[in-house]
Amino acid sequence: MADLVAILTSAVVLGSIYGLVAIGMTLIYGILRVLDMSQGSMVMAGSFVGWAILSSAGWNPVVAMVVAFVLTFALGAVTQLISVQPLLGRGGFDFEMITFITTFAVAIVIQNVALEVFGPRQKGVPPVFDGTLEVYSGVFLPYQSIAMALVSVGLMALLGLFLARSRWGMAIRAVAQDLDAARLMTVPIRRMFPLVMGLASALAGVGGVFLGGLYFASPSAGELPLLYALIVVIFGGLGSLPGTIYAAYAIGLIQAAVSVTIAAKWALPILYAVILVVLVVRPQGLAGRPSEARL
Amino acid sequence: MTAAAEALRRGRRAFPLTWGTGSIGLGAVAVVALIPLVYRDQYILSLIVTTFILITLNSSWNFLLGVAGVWNFGHLAIYAAGGYGAGLVMIHSGVSAWLALLGGGLGAALISIALAFPTLRLFGIYTSLLTFSFAQVIQFVILNDKSGITGGTFGLPLVRGLFPSLSPLGSMRAYYWTSLAVAALTVLAVAWIIHTRLGLALRAVRDSLAYGAARGVSALRYRVLAFGVSGFMAGIAGGLYASFNGSIQPSVMGLTAMSIYVTMLVIGGLGTVFGPVLGTALLMIIQTSLVDHPAVELTILGSVLLVIVVFFPRGLIGEIGTLRRRVRDWLSEGGTHETEETEGGARDDLA
Repeated sequence: MADLVAILTSAVVLGSIYGLVAIGMTLIYGILRVLDMSQGSMVMAGSFVGWAILSSAGWNPVVAMVVAFVLTFALGAVTQLISVQPLLGRGGFDFEMITFITTFAVAIVIQNVALEVFGPRQKGVPPVFDGTLEVYSGVFLPYQSIAMALVSVGLMALLGLFLARSRWGMAIRAVAQDLDAARLMTVPIRRMFPLVMGLASALAGVGGVFLGGLYFASPSAGELPLLYALIVVIFGGLGSLPGTIYAAYAIGLIQAAVSVTIAAKWALPILYAVILVVLVVRPQGLAGRPSEARL
Repeated sequence: MTAAAEALRRGRRAFPLTWGTGSIGLGAVAVVALIPLVYRDQYILSLIVTTFILITLNSSWNFLLGVAGVWNFGHLAIYAAGGYGAGLVMIHSGVSAWLALLGGGLGAALISIALAFPTLRLFGIYTSLLTFSFAQVIQFVILNDKSGITGGTFGLPLVRGLFPSLSPLGSMRAYYWTSLAVAALTVLAVAWIIHTRLGLALRAVRDSLAYGAARGVSALRYRVLAFGVSGFMAGIAGGLYASFNGSIQPSVMGLTAMSIYVTMLVIGGLGTVFGPVLGTALLMIIQTSLVDHPAVELTILGSVLLVIVVFFPRGLIGEIGTLRRRVRDWLSEGGTHETEETEGGARDDLA
């Protein structure tokens, strides 16, 4: 029973974090048809903001979250402007693949600039909240994790509200549904793209503040979140927001179950094996649209 | 897609294999082969050997990425499989090291073919994600291997190598010539295959899957074959790497390695025969001059990759080709630059 509770609670926590990073990736893919490989570095940038503000300056966590949001928003928008915007509308190559490479190049640059500035050593980020909660006899959950899950869910809900209600949000959804129709309705397409990538990066950055508290801030801190986010978006189907959220919790559940029953280090290979099977059986993911006819 | 295919086709011009270019190529290889006789710096020579091995690897990868148009990002796992396979055979059995090398190549080809079947069910970005995941799993399994078969994080040490009985300099020279021959043969093989039925089918299916299929080309069959050929070349490269270094580590298929090799391919020009050669040589030189500053090195590599892809998506060889055509057209027609926009590229490609 204790195992079951442990699995479920940690599934919810993990799923919320993965959801936050993955939802940004799926949003970007839905709008731009770009699989943004720089999202991991945004998590890393967020964790360094957390370290700088919480540990060095000793300010309020809310300040850290706001700064991380603004900084990674700017970083994401700039990433879009230099690595995706110049390639838009230019024929002669496979856009999805080329942007996969260019955003990857940006990720390499950001990661190595961080390595040069901060050094390779891991930096402890003080948890935003101290202490643990005993959920069940023998099952402890740090308040940090609970806060992180709550903030993730809150941000995802805010994003949903923004997309559903606001004028810009509706414009984003219109672009995702039909680019040409949106353009005919005078949606400023070219301004939407940096906005979306900034927004998605900002979500990842805020996630990074909390993840930094759970693990460390280091130049490679973004790699694992990126790998998990990739798994989630493949599983859920790229471009589908509900699919991504289901997939995030499903992946969180699988990871928690594997960690508790077998060993934490086997979580990643088993997840990839699951993904392998999912892709072979249902190539467009849980809720994605089929891309083309198969061979 | 058609405009994209058309423009890419212009960039991916086939290698015109004639007596003239053939003898130039042979002469170039012969000159390069003379270097170790006059030059004895072990460090520089070992860098050149590594360059040859990487040219072999990158040519085989380019065959899948550029010629077949399958975005396989798991190729480094195949390369590593060749290295581990050859290394394990060399350590655990008494057969000749050359047989072990061949065995590693064949094993890698088999794994590559096994990877091809699930991969070819997918299209576009999902292909790269699946193959990328495959490489990650393989790396992760080896990193966490506590059974001692692969050596885990530290790699597989004590690989006997191809020339255990030679002196250091003799062994270095032998590796130099072996890897040069392998690299030259691989480049030649790719240049040749592009013109065979297999190459033609691959390019047809790459440029228009529906059209190729309608003309009776089985995309699945030829692409599986391409995976096999490319996997074999990569496996041989991996085996050479393992025996030259005396060990092989899981980091050969890591993200850092992958980003460097992708940069090499993209800078040289995907889908061209000499793109991988030029890109690999160029980046090895840049890398060697920045070897003391790893973070700066990767920052520069990332920036170069970004700039090249954004401004010259067809790579250096592609740009050189365009430039040559422009000059030729300008010389022959007195100032019209637009001839390259006609269907000429497509016809040359199929010639």
